[in-house]
Amino acid sequence: MPALIEARDLTKKYGAHVALDRANFSVEGGRIVGLIGPNGAGKTSALRAILGLTTYEGSLQVLGREPFRERSALMHDACFIADVAVLPAWLRVDHAIDFVAGVHPRFRRDRATALLAKTEITGKRRMRELSKGMKTQVHLALTMAIDAKLLVLDEPTLGLDILARSAFYDALVNDYMDESRTILITTHQVEEVENLLTDVLFINKGRIVLDSSLEDIATRYAAVAVAGDRIEAARAAKPFHERRMLGKLVLYFEHPDLQQLAAFGEVHTPSVSDLFVAKLSGGAE
Amino acid sequence: MNTAIWLIRREFWENRAIWIIPAAISAITLLAALFGNIEHMAVPADFPIPAVGQLFLVAVGATFFAMMSIYATWYLLDCLYADRKDRSVLFWKSLPISDTMTVLSKLATAMLVIPAVYFAAADLTSLMMAFIVSVRASSLFGGALWHADLWLQLQAFWLYLIVTAAIWYLPVCGYLLLISAWAKRAVTLWSILPPIAAIIAERWFFGTHVIAHVIEARLLGLPGAAFNTKLGSWTTTIVQHDAVRTPADIWSFLDLGGFLANPETLIGVLAGVVLIIGAVQLRKRRTEI
Repeated sequence: MPALIEARDLTKKYGAHVALDRANFSVEGGRIVGLIGPNGAGKTSALRAILGLTTYEGSLQVLGREPFRERSALMHDACFIADVAVLPAWLRVDHAIDFVAGVHPRFRRDRATALLAKTEITGKRRMRELSKGMKTQVHLALTMAIDAKLLVLDEPTLGLDILARSAFYDALVNDYMDESRTILITTHQVEEVENLLTDVLFINKGRIVLDSSLEDIATRYAAVAVAGDRIEAARAAKPFHERRMLGKLVLYFEHPDLQQLAAFGEVHTPSVSDLFVAKLSGGAE
Repeated sequence: MNTAIWLIRREFWENRAIWIIPAAISAITLLAALFGNIEHMAVPADFPIPAVGQLFLVAVGATFFAMMSIYATWYLLDCLYADRKDRSVLFWKSLPISDTMTVLSKLATAMLVIPAVYFAAADLTSLMMAFIVSVRASSLFGGALWHADLWLQLQAFWLYLIVTAAIWYLPVCGYLLLISAWAKRAVTLWSILPPIAAIIAERWFFGTHVIAHVIEARLLGLPGAAFNTKLGSWTTTIVQHDAVRTPADIWSFLDLGGFLANPETLIGVLAGVVLIIGAVQLRKRRTEI
């Protein structure tokens, strides 16, 4: 089965600024992929290109289509929430449902109304009367009612409080996700999503620095909390990053020789957020 | 087709002014007819009564038409800019609607839907006003407002004007859409600046006024292009020793064949199509501001 998203040398320039610099990555079906990077790393540019919202150089195929040329056809099978609270202030909730039901052949109205019935939002209200969290709920209900193969979320919980955030991710994983769907999600709040991801794409300065499934991370990377007297020996094994945590020195290794590492101290698989920090800051902190 | 209908409905939700403005003009006109001092209007004694009726009805229609032109201009400038400004373009673009479809729906709203709403409102208002005025000031107007032929002529006149204006002003509409799809702020200013800059630059470097003449001919040229003033039959009445010419009937003034065959009309349509294609291309490339 061909990849859902296939990017080869994907490049996006804004004048002299290079937002995406020959990025290569692919996303397989049925996965929840986190596109993770610091601010200004090129996350949004990558998403904009994938969604057909911008021109680009290099080759890019999404669901077998060229996004920029075929955006409207692509949106039959893909949908996205780019940032929160983009529903226009004048739009009424019931009109929003009517409209999407009218123009989207894969929209299931019963599902949208069922999702909204769980909230306190009523149909006659306009977006300007709703709180940011409520607007996100409406947008999410509209989007999750579309039988799409690919769902793209760009910082979906920005500006939401903790309760709304957890409700958002619960709905996503429990009510929406199944093996026929793929979710691509960007965030700079790595801790928030790392439990639901199956794959990660780390992006920095316009380039993909890591493209891996979480299972592979466990075999490919290891972190060792090194005991004080073995630091020099451990450093000789060429860690790619070291970090002092709670008075302990943690060294990060790629393609580790686990037996060798066990001699230096306690070995564990780094969390996505730790690996992110390790990968992006390189060297010693 | 279904999508097109939903896109037009969407425009009504967003732009409630489409019907609020004509409703307001209608209300003001009817209030004036109900409570205005029409019994004592100073009409010259020898002014022909049918002409007074005609004038009255034309004035109502013209008010609607003028407001419609202003509103449609504003609408075209705003329609591809507002959703980029409030970032809702990111929602609209997440739906399977092509940018061509979006731009054409805005164009159709400005050129067909808004005129249709104003036409219906003007008709309804004229009818009610004529009724009120006839009842209140029958001594002055008598049956002047109730000639089937006059009504028919006015219907034809306004419909003809709407259709020819839509064709004649296509390049202007296309230009407004282009600015609306392109500008990052101050759409009104940006719509005025390029032509002014071009006129000044031309004058500066070449000492000529070609662009100014082209723009002037386009903005003011519709009556000359759409109506045949030479062939039309006029009625001359003497009012207080002055000869007043009024159209005897509307039919001889309408010249659709001549209008459509006019090279200026065709050049305009061609320029309009090019500008609209440009607006679509910009719409594809520009998302939020």
